[in-house]
Amino acid sequence: MASLSLITPSPEIRDELHRRGGDTARRCFQCATCSAVCSLAPDDQPFPRRQMLMAQWGQIDRLAADPAVWLCHQCNDCTVRCPRNARPGDVLQAVRSMVIEGLAAPAWLGRLVGKARSTWPLLLGAPILFWVVLLGLTGHLAWPAHVTAFEQVVPHVLIYSVFLPVAAWVLAVVFIEGGRFWAFLGSSSPPRRGSFFGALLPVLGEIGTHRRFARCEAARPRRTGHFLLMWGFVGAAVTSGLLVVALYGFGMEMPLPLGHPFKILGNLSAIALVVGVVLLVVERWSQPRVSGATTAFDTFFLTVVFLVVATGVLSEVARLTLPGQVAGGVYVAHLSFVLTLFLSFPYSKFAHALYRTLAMTHERMTAAE
Amino acid sequence: MERIGVVLCSGCGIGEALDMEALRGVAEEAGATVLTHPCLCSEEGLAAIRSALDSGEADALVLAGCSPRAQRHLFRFDPEKTVVERLALREMVTWTHPPGDEDTQALAEDLVRMAVAKVEAGKLPVRLQEEIEDAVLVVGGGLAGMEAALAAAGMGHDVVLVEAADRLGGALAGPPVHLPLAPPYDRPQPSRIPGLVEEVKAAGKIHVATSSRIVRITGQPGQFHVTVRGPEGEVELDVGAIVQATGARPYDASRLGHLGYGAFPDVITARELDLMLAEGRLARPSDGKAPQRIAFVQCAGSRDPEHLPYCSGECCAVTMRQILQVSRDHPEVETCVLYRDIRTPGQLEHLYQAAQEGAGAFFLKACVNGVTGNGNGRLTVRFEDSLLPGVEAMEADLVVLAVGMVPNSADGEAIRELHDAQHRAEHGESEVQKEEAQKIAEQLAHHEGTEILNLDYRQGPDLPVLRYNFPDSHYICFPYETRRTGIYAAGAVRAPMDPAQAVEDAWGAALKAVQCIEAARRGEAVHPRSGDLGVPELFLQRCTQCKRCTEECPFGTLNEDVDGTPQLNPLRCRHCGICMGACPERIISFPDYSVDAVSRQIGAIEVPEEDEEKPRILAFLCENDAYPALDAAAQLRRTWNPWVRIIPVRCLGSVNIVWIADALSRGIDGIILIGCTYGEDYQCHYIRGSELANTRLGNVQETLDRLALESDRIRLVELAHDEFQRIPGILDEFAESIGELEPNPYKGF
Repeated sequence: MASLSLITPSPEIRDELHRRGGDTARRCFQCATCSAVCSLAPDDQPFPRRQMLMAQWGQIDRLAADPAVWLCHQCNDCTVRCPRNARPGDVLQAVRSMVIEGLAAPAWLGRLVGKARSTWPLLLGAPILFWVVLLGLTGHLAWPAHVTAFEQVVPHVLIYSVFLPVAAWVLAVVFIEGGRFWAFLGSSSPPRRGSFFGALLPVLGEIGTHRRFARCEAARPRRTGHFLLMWGFVGAAVTSGLLVVALYGFGMEMPLPLGHPFKILGNLSAIALVVGVVLLVVERWSQPRVSGATTAFDTFFLTVVFLVVATGVLSEVARLTLPGQVAGGVYVAHLSFVLTLFLSFPYSKFAHALYRTLAMTHERMTAAE
Repeated sequence: MERIGVVLCSGCGIGEALDMEALRGVAEEAGATVLTHPCLCSEEGLAAIRSALDSGEADALVLAGCSPRAQRHLFRFDPEKTVVERLALREMVTWTHPPGDEDTQALAEDLVRMAVAKVEAGKLPVRLQEEIEDAVLVVGGGLAGMEAALAAAGMGHDVVLVEAADRLGGALAGPPVHLPLAPPYDRPQPSRIPGLVEEVKAAGKIHVATSSRIVRITGQPGQFHVTVRGPEGEVELDVGAIVQATGARPYDASRLGHLGYGAFPDVITARELDLMLAEGRLARPSDGKAPQRIAFVQCAGSRDPEHLPYCSGECCAVTMRQILQVSRDHPEVETCVLYRDIRTPGQLEHLYQAAQEGAGAFFLKACVNGVTGNGNGRLTVRFEDSLLPGVEAMEADLVVLAVGMVPNSADGEAIRELHDAQHRAEHGESEVQKEEAQKIAEQLAHHEGTEILNLDYRQGPDLPVLRYNFPDSHYICFPYETRRTGIYAAGAVRAPMDPAQAVEDAWGAALKAVQCIEAARRGEAVHPRSGDLGVPELFLQRCTQCKRCTEECPFGTLNEDVDGTPQLNPLRCRHCGICMGACPERIISFPDYSVDAVSRQIGAIEVPEEDEEKPRILAFLCENDAYPALDAAAQLRRTWNPWVRIIPVRCLGSVNIVWIADALSRGIDGIILIGCTYGEDYQCHYIRGSELANTRLGNVQETLDRLALESDRIRLVELAHDEFQRIPGILDEFAESIGELEPNPYKGF
């Protein structure tokens, strides 16, 4: 008997998925309409029908090792066509939130972010407190009446001393979590072929163009928002990198004039971020059926992104137009929210950037010839 | 009939397409009085017809205009006073053939001659006027039986409700809850049985006989004579119609050894779980402990060729009900369902949803192939083809088998075959015959003593069964009809069904029973020739006791006396004419439909000389399917070969082989019979009319050989009502194939 592969129902995990917004999974009667209408599901491994069944039985281990969970872009083509209103899109989103928390390193941080519904004041407030205390202790709370450069509010050295270790930490966590996830995926699939980077490159191309997302029907408006937001983030990151190089490599003076190419790149990124985040929020509010259920998992991530973008743009405007105290405050808030965004990356919805990329790479490496 | 009137309508383009004067001449030549009217369906047209009838100018009418399927409400005449034939000049001629053409005119003239010949041979039917009993016998006192009894009593009929057990209730008497019969359909419902029993007692018109069985039923609808044996001896009673609601029983689970039943006490049936739940406890039979996890195994022995090949339609819903009961009373117990397909038809879908959403049961689609012990006191349910790859089994503390239902029916035809074989085994003509009969008797021995209705019918003591031993109706055409007029099966004995369906079925059967009594009182046929008056007449002086009519009647209308002479029970008859088609002596006829009448129609066809190269083709069309299909094709203005002469028949089974011989010897070049699909999924209104026709055509070969004619000249085609697009092509293709043969050499003889 020991050789038999048994299935054991897990009411606890099923109930947890229900709490995370996947309660509609109960309605699924396995008609497979969802798998039939999904434009993203591979022909030989269709989803999300089977994943709905795993969710019903609380089979989180199987789900954690299943690339399909991440190949799903929550188009909700399935959700709008489900005859039982079982909302497979929402169920898979709940599964993803649970998998993110399950893979979190350290686990307690995963739980902390996972419970954002109640822990959000801490998650948003602690970084603000941290910056205020840091600036107070280093004597940088006395800001000029008119801020010409943010160097006057927070010296760059402080920024580096905070964000470089944080970035290193996040990178380490990403490696640990990504490694775990990669091992899980490998345990349940056909053997991978070819090199990781050889597969990653085309995947990045696919992500960059949102080619796959474009196959979705129901969520087409969301694709634009997501596309702008992603490229806004990339643009902001590139701008930051270029600035650091310019600042120290070439001794460039800050602030840059508005016509400077770096400035233009930064502002374009900011516009993309603002438009992207507004599109996503509006879509979520106005089209709840197509957007999927909004849980704390989504709200927290969107809120942080919104706050980062809003305070970022506001700081720029405030520096030029408002008194130094206000501009400084907005800038510190911006740095705090960026810190929250950085630190919560591996544990929040943001982590999909990691897992989905890996899953797509895995899919490419295991795909039939 | 003697005074024949032909009314020619020239409306709807008929007058422009045909030479009406020539048609009038043809009719007059045939001995009819002729009237032409530009619009027969107008007030003036109808008035003209009525005055011709009222003045006594005509006692039989040919209304040559539109199809008998058009304007039916206008062309209604008293069938006891007038023989009326409606001839579809519009559909069969002018809409479908080129106007002004020589062949078109010839077709119309032939059709007029044929119609006149038909009414000439027709007689007025004599309405049966018999003493008719109003009471309804209901056999079986379960849910369906009691509902049928209440429905019939509610319509003012006395009811005798016979139940074999010592109390009413049937299969649902045990559990205190059953499947929902009323909105919101999402929870078990308190058993309706106790309330029904009270209603039956209070109804006044229902006489209940428990611990009773039917000893014998003789007679016919409206006049059934029933002998019932109860605790106080035998009682004789007369009833007008019968509802058989003998229900079903669960499949014998002891045959499900592969699912652990019998080997492991913790493998139980759904019924056994019901008993447990009724007592308010949930415990493993092995150790009395409460189970943590119950596995429900659906289709246990169902949809399985080794056991029950069919789906019982109820077991899934019963499982849902049990899940809801368990989750309400024992919320800590995990319930898992291993199913092949969840089938909760109709409103029971709500029960399924409740089991999924409210009760939180776990569902896995898989084929269970075994249940074994796991060595630790639990059971391992093994399965294959699950939707989760690699998963082969699950463990449970209690396994509940959802077993299907088996009808409480008796195979009337098999019992009769058994009795015949027993008789032959004893009185056979030779030792070989006796031995063979003995073998058959042994094979059928398990039918001995299974009788329920004990009908005194030549064709067996019980309703004939269809697939899987259900005495089902002719469900494609008439869901409530059985093959015994006036006897209606209802509830789970008719087909596997759930309680809500059984209640509906019972009402339907009660309505049919009452309808049949009313029809018998008026001397009319029931479905499908509802209202038809003419019953068959048997000219017994010429009967050779060949028994073909008594054997082939699909409704068991004819009994036999000791010599094998048929005895007609006219109220059992559905007027299909299959006996007429069967009779080699041609002694069976209806007043308005007879071998002679059709022979005269064939004789009225003018067959052109051989050198004219105009073949003639005779088409016998089933008036239930093929003729309406051709009529529909005509509505679409489809065209077909003008050599074809159509004779609608009540059923292909009523086609007497003599008509084939008549036609061939008159020089008709080809004969086509178009009727309903036969075989296992037959569509024939009269069960096997088209099949019998096909068998009889096999015997025609001899006639063809005698006449030295090709067998290709005769063809039988199966066609359904909705295949109207196909039928013109069938006629054309047949005409073409006949055109390729040499002309029938008997032309002009």
